[in-house]
Amino acid sequence: MNDLSVVGKRVERVDVRAKVTGGALYAADVQMAGMLYGKIVRCYDYAHAKVTGLDLSKAAQCKGVIKVLGPKDVTQKEYNGSVLDMMVSADMRGMLGDIDDQSIFTDLVKHYGDAIAAVIATSEEAAERAAEKIIVTYEELPVYLTAQAARQPDAVQFRPEKPGNLAFQLPEMAFPDNAYAWGEVDKSFEEADIIVEDTFYVPKQKQCQMEPGAYIALYDDQERLNCWTSTQMPKLVQKKLANLFELPMTRVKINMTVIGGGFGARLGMVLEPETCALAMAVPGRPVKVLSTREEDWVTSPSRHPGKYWMKMGFKKDGTPVACDAKFENYKGAYYMDASGTAFTTGAWLGGMYKFDSLRYRGESYYTNQSVCGAFRGYGNPQTNFVMEQMVDRGCAALGVDPIEWRKKWHKTIGDDGWCIGVPYNSCALDECLDRAAKAIGWTEKRAKYKNQTGTIRRGIGVSVMNHTSGAMPMLLEHTVCDALLHQDATVTLNLACSDMGQGSHTTLRQVAAETLGFPYADVHIAAGDTDAAGFDIGAHASRTLYVGGGAVKQACEDVRKQIFDRAALELAEPVDNLYMEDKIIHVKGASNKSISVQTIADQGVNNFMNPETGELIGQPGQIQGYASFFPPHNAPPFGASIAEVEVDMETGEVKVIELVNAHDIGRAIHPGIVEGQMDGGAQQGLGMALTEETYYDEKGICLNNSFTDYKMLGPSDMPKMTNILVENPDPTGPFGAKGVGEAGIVPPVGATANAIFNAIGIQILDAPITPEKILKALAEKK
Amino acid sequence: MKKHAITLMVNGEERDLIVSSNRTLLDALRDDLGYTDTKYGCGTGECGACTILVDGMTSINGCLTLAATMNGKSITTAAGLARNGHLHPVQEAFIENDAIQCGFCTPGMVLKTISLLDENPTPTEAEIRHGLEGNICRCTGYTKIVEAVQDASRRISGSNTSAIGE
Repeated sequence: MNDLSVVGKRVERVDVRAKVTGGALYAADVQMAGMLYGKIVRCYDYAHAKVTGLDLSKAAQCKGVIKVLGPKDVTQKEYNGSVLDMMVSADMRGMLGDIDDQSIFTDLVKHYGDAIAAVIATSEEAAERAAEKIIVTYEELPVYLTAQAARQPDAVQFRPEKPGNLAFQLPEMAFPDNAYAWGEVDKSFEEADIIVEDTFYVPKQKQCQMEPGAYIALYDDQERLNCWTSTQMPKLVQKKLANLFELPMTRVKINMTVIGGGFGARLGMVLEPETCALAMAVPGRPVKVLSTREEDWVTSPSRHPGKYWMKMGFKKDGTPVACDAKFENYKGAYYMDASGTAFTTGAWLGGMYKFDSLRYRGESYYTNQSVCGAFRGYGNPQTNFVMEQMVDRGCAALGVDPIEWRKKWHKTIGDDGWCIGVPYNSCALDECLDRAAKAIGWTEKRAKYKNQTGTIRRGIGVSVMNHTSGAMPMLLEHTVCDALLHQDATVTLNLACSDMGQGSHTTLRQVAAETLGFPYADVHIAAGDTDAAGFDIGAHASRTLYVGGGAVKQACEDVRKQIFDRAALELAEPVDNLYMEDKIIHVKGASNKSISVQTIADQGVNNFMNPETGELIGQPGQIQGYASFFPPHNAPPFGASIAEVEVDMETGEVKVIELVNAHDIGRAIHPGIVEGQMDGGAQQGLGMALTEETYYDEKGICLNNSFTDYKMLGPSDMPKMTNILVENPDPTGPFGAKGVGEAGIVPPVGATANAIFNAIGIQILDAPITPEKILKALAEKK
Repeated sequence: MKKHAITLMVNGEERDLIVSSNRTLLDALRDDLGYTDTKYGCGTGECGACTILVDGMTSINGCLTLAATMNGKSITTAAGLARNGHLHPVQEAFIENDAIQCGFCTPGMVLKTISLLDENPTPTEAEIRHGLEGNICRCTGYTKIVEAVQDASRRISGSNTSAIGE
């Protein structure tokens, strides 16, 4: 495929001129006539409490106030903010039971920042001032911050239908013994010569997308509910809102504003229900709700933290015989997608190595923390931190090189991927490992860093991962795209795929142009609202290019076919005899016979009957391509990272010196975009390994829901980074592409932990690996 | 709350407005004057999304500045950088180096870069990284932003363009 003209090129991204001048409109930037402002009153005094009194009267009298709303003034219907229940089959949904446990305003506070009431006023300031006048009294309840605390027999039950505060475990009906498993694990361990086992903690990492939540809703004069939001999932949020407010989908419209980063934080509904409820209370007036950064932190979902136990057995020759694991996550106050991460965390584990037997159990427990949901990687970073440290402990006991062991025992083409029964159909992980090792000087450094003494010690560590491109067959994967050929032979794609900043609208446009054989500039993407676009599941699971691109390709192939069919009629030649060059269709071997796409497109639209003959000229009818696309596979990408660190044995400080990331991405539709995903993912992966955690005090008050107190790696903290793009086209991806959105965050997590292990000879079991934890571990060793 | 009548020169245009003592420059620019290219990211001066230039090349956080203290000042936002239909060289460098993803940090990052290059037209990589510590980007890992600043430095020092492009 060396003859590609748009795919593989670093074309200018579709959105960057608007973004660099500040002209791109994010939800907070949208202004409307008669706009009102909503301020939500939240509980910041308790993490678990009954509301015993709510006095709205003083607020209602404040200047500029239009309405004050408590729990009884809005719909009482309970909902689930996640969209996961809409992505699974009815059978699977049935197994989850009742998972609608959120309400717009609550009289039972379950986490710091839970919503109690709201004010609608003529300005943001007036709404804020009135909100301060709302008087709430509480009766404090015991606070549970861990699964271990929440499942105590005397604990307050969050939901009677979920006893033991166990929101979810893998259901027996689909997963016998509540486990994702193959083989006979207990028996396999009897064959093991070496067994390693430990319990780890993975942190409550926050996406920290730069745009805080902002929403506008308007219940208009056609009795339609309009919502302007930077959601990742417009079509599913449309359906969710329709269900919640009991409206047909034709009366709910999502207007997609520019998205200032997602990483999972906008996967589902966040404050769309609250904002729409306010708008329903003041028909005809748009209502804007802006989250402060602190508010966004505790209302949008985080990564699932929790205890993660793992045990691995190996034979003396290195054969991995058994892996047993259990992830008990701290789900937070509401169910959200309690089922999703609890499953996938094990799925990524199952997809990695050729263990004779494997058994994984995943459990989600309600806790009095803010909710957990999707975050880039969706369980994979958690598994990477644990699995890759256990593998390196095994390699140390076996006396084998960690890269050589991984190359020998990772799963590959023909082996089951993350979903048992769906085998890998492409894998270039060996090449990733070889090239990354060469780039960083693995062999030399690994030898050099043996038996170090002194205060400053170096270490080098590796990690590998498998991921996915969409979540077929576990979840619905479906995108509808139509491609309209205008009379000037340019094309507009109409679809609901969102671009969170990852560049999907650019890469989709490249796929379209390449398929059509048109210049990049001749294609436009219209992805503005849910009225116009057909179904799309939304931006999740690194699927937009793979599945959305599949839909775009199919719709454009349809356009191309229609163009060629018409050319064949006009030129009186079979289609097989035709070829297109610079938008002119020629007959092979007959240089004088040709017709331009421009002519075909124009005749399709501007067709006038010949007044003398009564005949049409050429072929009438505007050409439109259409695809309702279900992907055939999930084309898993693979990746490896090697990190080199420096550890100060006196202060416990870790400095990452270098990071090499090599990813098997199938094909780079836009190399600059792929590199950007790997760079940005690495910043988040290194952060999870080293600094990022949301902390609570014993009362459940969040201590660091701000950029002041939550430490992300800044420009000076980032190491020298090298990205290696391994292009091994996947047979099912558009032009061979696989998903790259999430993968970048995953292997830097385990590679950093293993580099620290290599430097200091101790594994730190709790992420993030802070200086305090290193010093404590060093002291305990002495 | 006391009100103040002030005049701001925003992107070369004179704007009169009345602000309360507690009105931040960020809110005045966004809500009173419509300069929504200046972003709210945290409100506490940590993220730099509201970075603007004052009286030429000094970068400040709009969220930490009271509008009433800015009477008579000249302010540049990202929307005011283009000249005669041409983007500023720093903006061009951000585009060409793929340094923009979600774009929410971009206006502030571009303005901070202009200020940085005005103080130090040929910074080392370490100086660039240090200079950008007050501006958070969550998408790029800073790699391509640093490359864009290096590229912009070459463009500006090579062409003798003043950093504000007059």
